Parts: sequence; C-alpha cells; structure tokens
Amino acid sequence: MTATLQPDLAERVGMDPAFNPSACMNCGICTAICPLGLRHLPREVFAYVVLGMEEEVLQHQEEVFSCLLCKLCEVSCPAGVHITENVRALRHYFDRNVFRLQGR
Amino acid sequence: MSERKIGVYVCQCGGNISDYVDVERVRQAVAEDPDVVVARTAMFTCSDATQDEIADDIKLDDLDGLVVASCSPKLHTFTFRGVARRAGLNPYRYTQVNLREQDSWAHTDDRLGATEKAIRLVRAGIARTRLLEPLDPTVVETVPRALVIGAGIAGLRAAIGLADIGLGVVLIEREAEVGGHVRELGTMYPHDRQGQELISELLGEVRRREGIALFTNAELVRKGGTFGNYEVDIRTRGDSNMTRRFEVGSIIVATGFDSYLPEEGEYGYGIPGVLTLPEFKKLVDASEGPLVYGDRPVRSVAYIYCVGSRQGESGPHQYCSRFCCTSAVHTDLELRAKAPKVHQYHLYRDMRTYGRYELLYNDSREKGSAYLKFAPDTPPEVQRRGDGQLEVRVHDQLASQEEVNLDVDLVVLVTGMVPRSNQELIQRLKLPVGRDGFFNEIHPKLRPVETVVDGVAICGACQFPKTAGESVASGLAAVSWSAAMLKQGRAELDPQVATVDPDLCTFCGVCMEACPYGAIGQQELGGSRQVAVIDPATCKGCGGCAPLCPEHAINVLGYTGREVEAMIESLAAGVA
Ligand SMILES: Cc1cc2nc3c(=O)[nH]c(=O)nc-3n(C[C@H](O)[C@H](O)[C@H](O)COP(=O)(O)OP(=O)(O)OC[C@H]3O[C@@H](n4cnc5c(N)ncnc54)[C@H](O)[C@@H]3O)c2cc1C
Ligand code: SF4
Ligand code: SF4
Ligand code: SF4
Ligand code: SF4
Repeated sequence: MTATLQPDLAERVGMDPAFNPSACMNCGICTAICPLGLRHLPREVFAYVVLGMEEEVLQHQEEVFSCLLCKLCEVSCPAGVHITENVRALRHYFDRNVFRLQGR
Repeated sequence: MSERKIGVYVCQCGGNISDYVDVERVRQAVAEDPDVVVARTAMFTCSDATQDEIADDIKLDDLDGLVVASCSPKLHTFTFRGVARRAGLNPYRYTQVNLREQDSWAHTDDRLGATEKAIRLVRAGIARTRLLEPLDPTVVETVPRALVIGAGIAGLRAAIGLADIGLGVVLIEREAEVGGHVRELGTMYPHDRQGQELISELLGEVRRREGIALFTNAELVRKGGTFGNYEVDIRTRGDSNMTRRFEVGSIIVATGFDSYLPEEGEYGYGIPGVLTLPEFKKLVDASEGPLVYGDRPVRSVAYIYCVGSRQGESGPHQYCSRFCCTSAVHTDLELRAKAPKVHQYHLYRDMRTYGRYELLYNDSREKGSAYLKFAPDTPPEVQRRGDGQLEVRVHDQLASQEEVNLDVDLVVLVTGMVPRSNQELIQRLKLPVGRDGFFNEIHPKLRPVETVVDGVAICGACQFPKTAGESVASGLAAVSWSAAMLKQGRAELDPQVATVDPDLCTFCGVCMEACPYGAIGQQELGGSRQVAVIDPATCKGCGGCAPLCPEHAINVLGYTGREVEAMIESLAAGVA
C-alpha cells in the first residue's frame, strides 16, 4: 500500500511546545517495556505523525486511548521523547478531529 | 669451519610454538653446532626478563652472532636488534627465524614434521648468522625544508606548523586560489564558523611567515636527488610560466579529495531540483531567509544518503565517506534556522554521526525532521511527475514499515568523497595507492602519516575521507614527523642495501632497468671503464637487481649470495 502524506500533520496534532515525536530514534525500548504490550504506540504511531500518515494515525485510536500514561517507557527512553505528553496531545487531536469536542 | 660465538634462543611463545614443535629437541639439535656457544629455550623470548638474559649472555660469552627463533620478523626484528645493540653486539649480526607463522601455526597436525622443519629453519638462521658482517646505518644529512603539495585546509595548516617549528616551507597549490573544498563552504560543523573565513585567516597566517614560499597555479614536475636532499622542480602557470628548483628534506602530500559526481539518472540526477550535497550546501549557505530554487519556494526537501559511498560489490567506492551523514544533518539545521517551515525528510541507510556529532542528529530530530531508513537492496526511487513535482518513493524500514511517497521540491543526494585523480603526482612520487584509490600510510595506528617512500608523508582527505578537523590533525602529525627527521639534520637508513663489485661489473645495464627505485647509476673507474653504482640512500634492499646480474656482481648486504646459499644448503640438508 502506498500512503498519502499530510506534511503538516505533526503541527496540527501537537499544539504544545513539549510535543516531540520526531525526537524518537526508533530503538524500540518503549515497545519492549510497555506493561500493556501496546504494539504500535508510542514508536510507530509517532512515526506516522512525523511522516504525516494521517489515516494510519486514525486507525490506532484504541491504542492511543488504552495507554496508562504510566511513563515506564518515558523514563527508559534514551532519546528524551516526551512520550506521555505526546500521547495526551494525540488524544486531544482525536477529541477535536474525531469526536468533534469543542474547546481546548 | 669459521669460529663464531653464536647464541640461539628458541621460543615457546606460551604454547603457540611449543604445542606443535618439540622446542627442547630443536635446542639440542642446534646446540651441537660448533659455532653455537649458548642455546636456550624460553617461554616468551620477547619478555623483559628473557631480553635481559640474552643481553647478559652476549656480554658474558662475548657473542658475535644472535639467532632468535620465535615469531615473524615483522613483529620482533627491531626488538632483538635493540637487545643486541644494548649489549654491544652489532644489530645486523642478528637473525630472526620464524617458527610460529611459518611452522607451528602451519603444521598443527604434524608435531614430528613441524619439529624437523624447525630444526632446518634454525640451522639456516645460524648458517646466515655465521657469515654476517657488522653493518652501520647509512647516515644522510637532511635539508631543513619541506615541500607541501596542496593548499587545502590540511596543507595550509601544515605549512604554518612547519614554519613555526623553524623549518623552511615550499607550499604549492594547483589551483589559482588556496583553500580547497573548505574555501567553498559557508557554515561548518562543529563550530558553525564560515569555511571561507577559516581559509582567509590561514592564508593571512601563511603570508605573515617569511619561511613559507607559496606558489599557486603550481605543480611538481620532477623529483630528483635522494632521501634527505630531494630536488624538486615546481612549475607555475599563468603570467610567470617558469620552473623553480628547491632542495627539500621531506615532502607532505595534502592533495585532498573529489566529491562524488552521480551518473546521469542515478537517483534522478539530471532532473531539475535533484542536487548533490555540495550543490545544496551552496544554495543554503547563500540563502538569507526562505529557500528558493529556480524562482520557486522550497517547502520540502528529501535527502538520500550514501550516494557514491558504501557501494558494496557493485562499485569502486565500498567505504563510508564519514563526513556526509553529519554534513547533511548539519545542513538540515542550518536550513531550519533560516526557514523553519521547510519539511525535511532524511532517507538514510545507517546514521553515522559519530562522536559528538550525535548531538546534531538529536537536535535535528528534536526540532521535527523526519528520518526514514532504507535497505541497500531497495533504494529510494526519484521521479518527476507530469505536473513537474518531484516524487521520492521509499520503503521505510523503521516504524511505519510501509512504502511511502514523498512529494518534495528538492532532492539532495548526499554524495561522498572519492579519490582525486592525480596520476602524474602518483607516478612522480611513487605514492602507494590503496584498493579504494586513496593514498596508503605504512601503518594505520603506529605510523599513520608516513608512506613507504622515505621522506614522503600524506595527510588530510587524500588519505581517506576526513572532516576538516581530522584533516588538520593529520597535517600536524606530518609536521611533527618532518620535524623529528629534519631538525636533527641527519637521518639513519637501513644499511642492508645492494652493492656492486666494480671488479666484476661489465656494465651491461640489466640491473639499472630492473631497479624500481632508480637507485642504480653509472660511475667511471680509472681507464674510463664504466661500472654500475648503487646509491645506498635510494636503494630499498629489495633484491630485485641481484639475481639478474649475469656477472654475480651485486650483493645485498645482510643477504649476500654466500649467505643465501648457506641458508639453502642448511634447509636442504638432512635433520638427523
Ligand atoms: C559539502 C561538504 C561539506 C562539508 N562540511 C564540512 C564541515 O562542516 N565540517 C568539516 O569538518 N568538514 C566538512 N567537509 C569536509 C572538508 O571539506 C574536508 O575535510 C577538507 O576539505 C579536507 O581538506 P584537505 O586539505 O585534505 O583537502 P582539499 O580541501 O581537497 O584540498 C586539497 C588541495 O590540494 C590541491 N591539489 C590537489 N592535487 C594537487 C596537486 N597535484 N598539486 C598541487 N595541489 C594539488 C587542491 O587543488 C586543493 O586545493 C565538507 C565537505 C563537503 C564536500
Ligand atoms: S524508547 Fe524512545 S527513542 Fe526508543 S523507540 Fe521508544 S520513543 Fe523512540
Ligand atoms: S506510558 Fe503508555 S505506552 Fe508507555 S509504557 Fe505506559 S502504557 Fe505503555
Ligand atoms: S557518512 Fe553516512 S551518508 Fe556518508 S557514506 Fe557514511 S553512512 Fe553514508
Ligand atoms: S636492491 Fe632493489 S632498490 Fe636496491 S638497487 Fe637493487 S633493485 Fe634497486
């Protein structure tokens, strides 16, 4: 399958300056450590955001909302990715764009 | 039978030899030789304790010959020559016999055979040693001046270093302007200083030093003379088309690299908007605000890494060019500072921003650039669509694991370094060229700037791909190598060189043609008889000439015809 890209997706998702999914260097520690065994969050969903693959991001709504925000991955991340902050930003993005919730 | 007092030491090499060779039997067999006055075995002959023991034996027994049967002469010839010298024995009366690489390691399945071979090898060493005469190193006087070829950042800095240490310098640059590639660069990593500025500062420093004679539009057209006193002819083009001759004690080659030029169609090269890294760097350096290419604003850029490097079996450039990952990442940051909104995609194979340059890579990711990894067997494809848009298709090996189509305004081919074509210089100096086309040092760790040509060193990116800082560091290494040699005013050369017996020589000229170093000349003896004569400072002792001489007039000292024949006889004799 060939993806269609939305180059400004990362800007639209992340309104907070702490939003930094692009800092990820794809080591995979987060995936190995996640107590829920989430497969696509954080690493792959972040990559979809950075590349602008909006449809793929939308397909992972369940994982975005299952995350415990336990920060186990975040404290182990060697690249200083603000993982839980980024997940919150993603939830906010779903709120606005999928559930059409108003306000910030 | 001659009467010599030879000491023989058979090494166990901690089992490397003694596991496969009965060293005690070897010792006994050679101890019978009437000229051998001491024969011992040792666990590690090269250990300090055994070296001291050998030195004591030399003094006590007044030895006049030494044989150590251990490992390859490449490893320990100088070690045991040193032992001999310290104990007052002429170091050229020493023979290293190789029982490890040439015997025990080669015959691990045949202890008896390996032991008998060891006996023959050691006997051959003794046979040679019996005939060895003392030799003294050839001493040459050295001229306190160096020639630096190439005035890039490495050559410029080397010239300044040489002048500051009190040596004269002739600095030549083929182009009209000095500075090489760095002259073309704006902001550089890691300090964000301008390349042009660095070069004009260095040029100012060069001009301030009277000891440096700088010639631009200049090339070396001839090298004559001998080590320590090379005569070099420098030709300058332009208004003053002339040739000047200088005497120099050392030559430093700093001729740099060429940037890889992609072939037409390689990753779309040739399509407008597909640029090489140097071309793109120029564009970014020159841009003040938002980037514009051909009147069109640039909103997105895709970098394709390793173009012309790491070609595997498919091309001549199999090495990594080392600077280009960092340069691409640094250019990304430079562009981001000028035009923060540009989307930058990096399509890489492996990210090699080694050492502190890792921080630049982190910074670029943190600031929002996207990095995708492709496999060498599925490289990205670049196309120009009907509407003029550039399209890069790549299979991302990282998180997305998908084929991705990137619509971009520019494609940057992250091109590497290739050897500069410099055939005439290579021939003139007999420079050693590696399989990759860059110049070769003697030893990458221990003699990192010297070449096998006496008095000739290499530095900068003509040796292998280097950053500017690494190029300068090697340039300064070449400075200290020059100073160590030239500040003494004299240098010692290996005396194991060829000599001609003038009584036998008929001057047939066969040897002159054979010598790869041009060491053989002609001399007139009394009665206008011509004979060949070999310059000991130029001869490498390779032995190429000796077996060709129909009159047997040539001998290599330390390996004379008699010595070699005696060795062959011992090797061929029975072991019993
Ligand atoms: C796009 C790009 C960006 C880069 N950015 C950086 C950076 O930001 N930071 C960094 O550290 N490095 C950077 N580099 C690497 C840097 O350019 C090299 O490390 C540096 O140029 C090597 O210097 P050099 O003196 O060995 O060779 P060169 O710069 O190639 O200079 C060699 C000189 O020798 C002359 N010459 C060649 N043959 C002869 C001859 N036969 N006779 C006389 N003269 C001769 C040439 O004309 C030239 O002037 C970059 C390289 C590129 C291509
Ligand atoms: S641990 Fe951090 S750097 Fe590693 S994959 Fe996860 S988010 Fe990326
Ligand atoms: S914060 Fe979320 S993604 Fe990270 S380990 Fe906890 S549950 Fe998994
Ligand atoms: S430095 Fe990077 S781009 Fe250059 S050849 Fe090496 S891996 Fe490839
Ligand atoms: S030994 Fe080798 S280098 Fe020396 S004169 Fe003979 S051929 Fe030339």
